[in-house]
Amino acid sequence: MSGGPPKGLPSTGPHSLLDMPHPLAGSSSEEAVGGDSTPSPDLLMARSFGDKDLILPNGGTPAGTSSPASSSSLLNRLQLDDDIDGETRDLFVTVDDPKKHVCTMETYITYRITTKSTRVEFDLPEYSVRRRYQDFDWLRNKLEESQPTHLIPPLPEKFVVKGVVDRFSEEFVETRRKALDKFLKRITDHPVLSFNEHFNVFLTAKDLNAYKRQGMALLSRVGESVKHVTGGYKLRSRPLEFAAIGDYLDTFALKLGTIDRIAQRIIKEEIEYLVELREYGPVYSTWSALEGELAEPLEGVSACIGNCSTALEELTDDMTEDFLPVLREYILYSDSMKSVLKKRDQVQAEYEAKLEAVALRKEDRPKVPADVEKCQDRMECFNADLKADMERWQSNKRQDFRQLLMGMADKNIQYYEKCLMAWESIIPLLQEKPEAKLAPIWGNEETTWCLFTTTVIGGQPGSQPRISKRCPSSCVHCSIVHNSQDVEIT
Amino acid sequence: MEQAPPDLERQWQPAPLEPLGHTDAGLQAAVGEEAEGSRDEVPGDGTEHALGLGVLMTENNFGLKKIEISVSEAEKRTGRNAMNMQETYTAYLIETRSVEHTDGQSVLTDSLWRRYSEFELLRNYLLVYYPHIVVPPLPEKRAEFVWHKLSADNMDPDFVERRRIGLENFLLRVASHPILCRDKIFYLFLTQEGNWKETVNETGFQLKADSRLKALNATFRVKNPDKRFTELKHYSDELQSVISHLLRVRARVADRLYGVYKVHGNYGRVFSEWSAIEKEMGDGLQSAGHHMDVYASSIDDILEDEEHYADQLKEYLFYAEALRAVCRKHELMQYDLEMAAQDLASKKQQCEELATGTVRTFSLKGMTTKLFGQETPEQREARIKVLEEQINEGEQQLKSKNLEGREFVKNAWADIERFKEQKNHDLKEALISYAVMQISMCKKGIQVWTNAKECFSKM
Repeated sequence: MSGGPPKGLPSTGPHSLLDMPHPLAGSSSEEAVGGDSTPSPDLLMARSFGDKDLILPNGGTPAGTSSPASSSSLLNRLQLDDDIDGETRDLFVTVDDPKKHVCTMETYITYRITTKSTRVEFDLPEYSVRRRYQDFDWLRNKLEESQPTHLIPPLPEKFVVKGVVDRFSEEFVETRRKALDKFLKRITDHPVLSFNEHFNVFLTAKDLNAYKRQGMALLSRVGESVKHVTGGYKLRSRPLEFAAIGDYLDTFALKLGTIDRIAQRIIKEEIEYLVELREYGPVYSTWSALEGELAEPLEGVSACIGNCSTALEELTDDMTEDFLPVLREYILYSDSMKSVLKKRDQVQAEYEAKLEAVALRKEDRPKVPADVEKCQDRMECFNADLKADMERWQSNKRQDFRQLLMGMADKNIQYYEKCLMAWESIIPLLQEKPEAKLAPIWGNEETTWCLFTTTVIGGQPGSQPRISKRCPSSCVHCSIVHNSQDVEIT
Repeated sequence: MEQAPPDLERQWQPAPLEPLGHTDAGLQAAVGEEAEGSRDEVPGDGTEHALGLGVLMTENNFGLKKIEISVSEAEKRTGRNAMNMQETYTAYLIETRSVEHTDGQSVLTDSLWRRYSEFELLRNYLLVYYPHIVVPPLPEKRAEFVWHKLSADNMDPDFVERRRIGLENFLLRVASHPILCRDKIFYLFLTQEGNWKETVNETGFQLKADSRLKALNATFRVKNPDKRFTELKHYSDELQSVISHLLRVRARVADRLYGVYKVHGNYGRVFSEWSAIEKEMGDGLQSAGHHMDVYASSIDDILEDEEHYADQLKEYLFYAEALRAVCRKHELMQYDLEMAAQDLASKKQQCEELATGTVRTFSLKGMTTKLFGQETPEQREARIKVLEEQINEGEQQLKSKNLEGREFVKNAWADIERFKEQKNHDLKEALISYAVMQISMCKKGIQVWTNAKECFSKM
């Protein structure tokens, strides 16, 4: 399964080395879980697992041939593996600078991919190549082929209904660039996938197409082996652990789909709200044209609504560009996860079928035949890889959603802060105006009432009256002692 | 809630007595709602409106006295109307309290029930008797410009409550008007439950009412309209159209905003369901979901508050009509004046023709003269005499109409000036309270999202 034999060799070096620790690390829990389910094959499995542990270093299985490592060196590798997950990164890949190419046949976008690495697999410390979406697609297929036991991160959706979305619009290209960058970063961060030979070629090759053609010939053979596995054998029982993962993924995808729909709906509502706001603000302007004294306050309100509209537009843009794509990525992620899970089931099915066949032939031979053992190995590896990937995915997911949701909260806070600022800034405008107007009104002898004495606050008997508007001290109509105190709005 | 009363008190100031008790300012009321701390200063919701007391000073048999007015209750009733048909209506309890000069304490003097139609009658009466005054409008009869979540049902408790506030506001506006507050019918409206309708009808105000058709006629025929009134009429038209546009758009804005908030409520449910399958993230998601629920439900109060702002604007939408009524009356008077002047001029001409015996213009009279021969000098003398009398009368009439018109313009313009000041002040206050509402909404939003962010950060 692990890739085309000739191609796979260089890549399986690090692959299998890193792979091996997982069966070891996972063996105890695997045993415990296996013990709960159907007894006979699992018992066998547990026993043979112990055997295999001893056999492995002898190079009895093909998986082991390229890894003559002892258990201690495996452990070292494991620690190094952890380190990579933590701080010591030695491979950095970024996607930027999208460029549009117009040819006679087609128009497409390429992205610049810059790689910096200290790894020995790279001859140069830095590479810069241009790739288009097709190339990413090719890479993902290659990864899926050569590392079937691993969870390959998803690519952004390829299919775009022509005419509905402008494939060459700035927003679309930028959203896709971000998604592609994320895709490569996820591979880069993966302890196994980042060592994949195809990935290396993808990052470094000057002419990727030549490499692609070269690989075409081999593809047919690989395809056959894949087809072979797709037998209609019904799985006897999925181990509880993987059944739980499957259930989890189903619910997760469902909930995420709901969140995606809610988020889209919110954006839709917000855009409609924006449309109304855009009409609402100018009405105040129209009104202000009719008024004298009220003109400025009304104009102020109009400007304020304008500012709020701008803030709202930024919010919806941010949500469309930053929030939705991450949700989409995780929805696709859960799909890839499900397909890996399915592959795992197939491997288990194959193993169980073979085991059954052996059981039917009775105990002719005391030992389990080699091909069954090989099959079991493969399943063990698969399980271990998948479990490790799942754990990694879980922790990534937690990080990503923490960031995503905090980002959503932040964006909303920022939106409200901008609106708050706008509204707070017009309060003085609304309040100051009467003072400016006050003098002429007051200077007029004919005005027989005072306009400004009545907004007295807290007028309970006995309480200290506070005057909300300035009233000239010469006011003869008010019995209240005037102080030039403005009302505070808090 | 009590946006209006303080303004009323303000207008009340010119009254011949010293200023009266102070009630909560509109601004303060709005601020009070915004700042939770100051909420305590205001008594509970149920009694809050009782604070919105306006003060009426009225000259009657008892001499000058100060009265506080409030519409404190609304009650659904069923009764039989004039056609003996079963009908359901809402009655409003009007309470009046007299205020003692010395200690500022108020004593309940009267309370009576009135229904909307009686308010309408009062206003119609005022319109006829005070054509030069911008008579305060009544709250809408049916809910208009409401966003879809609000019921348009006349019996809806929210609508009744908003109308109660509106009716109280109307009474306070009248009570604080320097001229209207002295009206006897108004005083009786507040104090005499039975026979009030009969008393109003006895004034014969309906006979004095100008017909619409006549007014319309005047609009098109008046030759020398007062430029100021023409402008004012134009202004009230524009004001009406801009405010109604504003109210319509605001209702739509409210609808959309409602949608935005309520859709967030779905996050509450889905976060909570999602949290069930997560280990480390579960708690954070669950409580963030709770905050989303809070966010979604906060819009109800926000929009309810905004409805008060809409009511304030609506009052001025209806004020525009009242303004137009004054303009219409002026047009009508101007038209009457012009007609009288024209009539007089034609009579003078006839008289002159008779006296000199020349017929300048072709007329029926000229024809009959030609056909049936000259009338006797006696007849002519008699006719000239009659005409001269009529001319005299007409001159007197014209003079008094001129005087009346000048008086009307003077009074009307004084009231319009008063109205403008009131309008500027009220609307500014309304805009401030609107801004304060928006500020409060923003603060609530920031609060909820900050809380949610904290939950997310714990994931």
